[in-house]
Amino acid sequence: MFSRKRSVEDFAAEIKAHLELEADELQDDGLNEDEAHRNARVAFGNAPAAEERFRPRNRVPWIDNLLRDISFSLRQIVRNPGFAIVVIVTLALGIGASTSIFSVADAVLLRPLPYPNPQQIVRVWEKMPNGHQPNLAESNFEDFLTQNHTFASLAAYDYGLASVSGGTEPARVNVSSVSSGFFPAFGVQPFRGRLFTADEQRPHGTPAIVVSYGYWQRYLGSTTELSKFHLDLEGGSYPVIGVMPPGFDFPSDVSAWISRELDPPSPSRTGHNWRGIGRLRDGATVAQAQANLGAIAHRIRNQYGTQVDLNDAVVVPLSDAVVGNVRTALVTLLCAVGLLLLVACANVAGLLVARTSARRKELAIRAALGAGRGRLIQQFLAESFALSLAAGLLGILMAAAGVRVLPVILPADLPRQQGISINPAVLLFALAASVVVAAALGLFAAWRAGGPDLQNALSAGSRGHTGPRSNQRLRSLLVIGEIATTLVILVGAGLLGRSFFQLISTSPGFRTESLVTMEFSLPVPLDWKVDDLATERQVHLLDQIVMRLRALPGATSVGLAGGLPVAQGDNLPDGGFLILNGHNPPADYDEFGKMAQNQAITGHALYAVTSQDYFSTLGIPLMAGRNFGDQDTINSTHVALISQALARQRWPGQNPIGQTIEFGNMDGNLKPLTIIGIVGDVRASGLDAPPASVIYVNYRQRGMQQNSTPTILMRTTAPNGQIDSAARVIFHNLAPDVPVKFSTYAMELGGWLAERRFLLLLVSLFALAALLLAAVGLYGVVAFFVTLRTQEIGVRMAIGAQRSDVLRLVLGEAARMASFGLIIGIVASLAITRLLSSLLFGVSATDPLTFVGVAALLSIVALAASWVPAYRAMRVDPVSALRYE
Amino acid sequence: MTTQKNTDDRIALLQGTLDLLILKTLVFGPCHGQGVARSIQRQSEEVFFVDHGSLYLALQRLEDKKWITAKWGVSRNNRKARFYSLTSKGREQLLEKTSEWERLTRAMGLVLSGSAAPNNEEV
Repeated sequence: MFSRKRSVEDFAAEIKAHLELEADELQDDGLNEDEAHRNARVAFGNAPAAEERFRPRNRVPWIDNLLRDISFSLRQIVRNPGFAIVVIVTLALGIGASTSIFSVADAVLLRPLPYPNPQQIVRVWEKMPNGHQPNLAESNFEDFLTQNHTFASLAAYDYGLASVSGGTEPARVNVSSVSSGFFPAFGVQPFRGRLFTADEQRPHGTPAIVVSYGYWQRYLGSTTELSKFHLDLEGGSYPVIGVMPPGFDFPSDVSAWISRELDPPSPSRTGHNWRGIGRLRDGATVAQAQANLGAIAHRIRNQYGTQVDLNDAVVVPLSDAVVGNVRTALVTLLCAVGLLLLVACANVAGLLVARTSARRKELAIRAALGAGRGRLIQQFLAESFALSLAAGLLGILMAAAGVRVLPVILPADLPRQQGISINPAVLLFALAASVVVAAALGLFAAWRAGGPDLQNALSAGSRGHTGPRSNQRLRSLLVIGEIATTLVILVGAGLLGRSFFQLISTSPGFRTESLVTMEFSLPVPLDWKVDDLATERQVHLLDQIVMRLRALPGATSVGLAGGLPVAQGDNLPDGGFLILNGHNPPADYDEFGKMAQNQAITGHALYAVTSQDYFSTLGIPLMAGRNFGDQDTINSTHVALISQALARQRWPGQNPIGQTIEFGNMDGNLKPLTIIGIVGDVRASGLDAPPASVIYVNYRQRGMQQNSTPTILMRTTAPNGQIDSAARVIFHNLAPDVPVKFSTYAMELGGWLAERRFLLLLVSLFALAALLLAAVGLYGVVAFFVTLRTQEIGVRMAIGAQRSDVLRLVLGEAARMASFGLIIGIVASLAITRLLSSLLFGVSATDPLTFVGVAALLSIVALAASWVPAYRAMRVDPVSALRYE
Repeated sequence: MTTQKNTDDRIALLQGTLDLLILKTLVFGPCHGQGVARSIQRQSEEVFFVDHGSLYLALQRLEDKKWITAKWGVSRNNRKARFYSLTSKGREQLLEKTSEWERLTRAMGLVLSGSAAPNNEEV
């Protein structure tokens, strides 16, 4: 229609004019005015009806219809609130759970890093011929930096715990040492103050420190006068020159940054001590950068041969590097929650089928009155949209609550978790999920309603209400799908659960209960120069602390270590050592490097500084030789204990006791070590790792180095808090500047397990929810089966069927659906759980026990769900059943 | 289009005939809806009764088809009214519909008046 649309008002005006003209004429014919008007109106007939009939010509009909459908749907919902509530809650459960997990995935995986052009920021590693990807060695980094043509900036950095005082109180925090390209790589300006100047980035230049927003708030009182503060850090004094903005958190959880170039360079091509980060030049790709650095690495290899251990380089976008192995866990969660949403939808679809059956007459009448297929589809869509959007809204509320609860169970080391929130992206996800669910369910219901049997509904009489058996078959299929999907989630949860319990029942090699830990730090110079004098000073202090702690009531024994085994996972220092076998120890690290080329005399082990009592405190047995003793002093022969695993691996069939080894690369002390004993195995690298090869050295001889985290382990019979407060006093008196972290070994181990526990907890929750939904779905179908067959059951019983036969009939139907679901689910699980492999421990992805257990659990639940309707069928009274319609 | 049944001897309009009557009425010049209705009733010697609601919908339909046009004007007794007039397209349609109608009535007449002779013979 090209002409301008006439308005309803214009049409009404025309009718009014008509009535007036008619009245005029009637008056001319001799009627009085009132009579004329009345007669005119009577003659016209129903004016509003005419207007009403004009209306549709004038509007976009589908909007009109839509509004009518929506109000109709709302009336339907109000009329049948039970149905609506069940549907909304079921869908909200699915949408809410998916939205919560999506909010985590959004913050951790999807949102770009909070730096300008974050896709240009990359991490850099060297690559060895055997595929290992170590950090950068100092001289290699220098070559990468000066010879590349693909980086706008390239930096080396490292970080570690350090005691920082000079603020409102001393703190043990992460401090990062960064080279001059570090801040330019991120392109982030300080929130207050400035970054390092050239004078602060050269050997023996002016010391300076930049602090994090968090540290500035907490320890510097959010001061505006930065110059007032000088921070004391491992023996040096650093004026505060700048504060980074709140979002800047790299490396993760670092409180301060100092310039790496203040320390003179210590050239090495095999000491992989520096992490690499950089920003690509505009236009350069990650692949180009990797090829560029790889070529440089190759040149180094050609030049130095086997003196170096790299032959390639690896460049990875920072966003990928930050997320690391969390990706698998999150993708697993997303899959689990997606499956849950699928089960919820299947459940609702089953309800819709049942309800469509009940509404067949109404639909048939509507169709008979001329409602086209399109109109019916539209009506179903309106209904499913009303329900889904309500569910989406409820789901968002649930997700908002979830996001508030999540931090409690999220593993502390999950990167970027501060960003988890209900933001527009998350809302959009919830909306999209609701719309997809609404469209799918609406079209599904319309498809069902539009079936060929609809026309028969009107003639089907009262029995038409129960609907045809094809609907029942469809609901059975849906339930089979639900059971199969639930089985997949349950198998996932089962495998993760078995892994978890396998892990926590794995003995680390010592007793972990009633073990108090105190992690602290000692002033250690940053430049690896713990000389004998410094060591003696350390030993004096440590001995005093240990002696006083041992005297505390409740303290059974007190050990000292340079790190917490197992709980610290792979953070324990490790490296290669030399077996001297009569060779002279190397005079310097160059010679060390040359000797290390000879594979026959090298080994690899964890480096652990301990005290004599460490072993008795933890309960690690001495298998051969002797323990450290008072005869071992800084001036006597330096001694070492090794773990059984190392003895087995490096000295198979030989007695390692009496061998001398060189492990000076770990602590900067080239004095060789003599093996004096073998101790029991400890899974020092984590419960999921095999027993570690460890070389234990005596703290009285080697001292605590920068790579150690001095930790006191105390076996105690006293309640926790009591020891803590008494120990705090001892530390305060002997070393007032030393911050101490009190904990128990169980808690530290719990932190190590947090990620697995989180994953297990959530997947189990989703599995439980899916199980409940599947049970409800099965119950509904079996109950309807009984309703459909009440008459048949009556007949059977009338002609002599026993109640047990009836029970068998009904349960048989349920068992048929359940076993189909189980078979499909098991096949699907076999394909899907493979993806979980990297998250499993001590159990294969196709663990038969898990599959059987999960199938049994599902069977029991299915049986329980169908028991109630089966019982009802059994009690059917044949007489009333035959009359039943 | 619906027709209204009366108990008197008025005849309900056949479907499709109202359009033709409207077009015919407008041949004599622009007219408003009430005038069209009156005119049809008078011309048919009060046999046809025009349902007014249907009339206006029919007018609207013809207007949409561009067979007639409409604009607001003033009636003889100074009332505001919407006047309809025939377009050239409308005139063509009128000729076509009229001849169609005549063929129809002639055929009807032939069948109804030409005594059903063959049938009678058999009885």
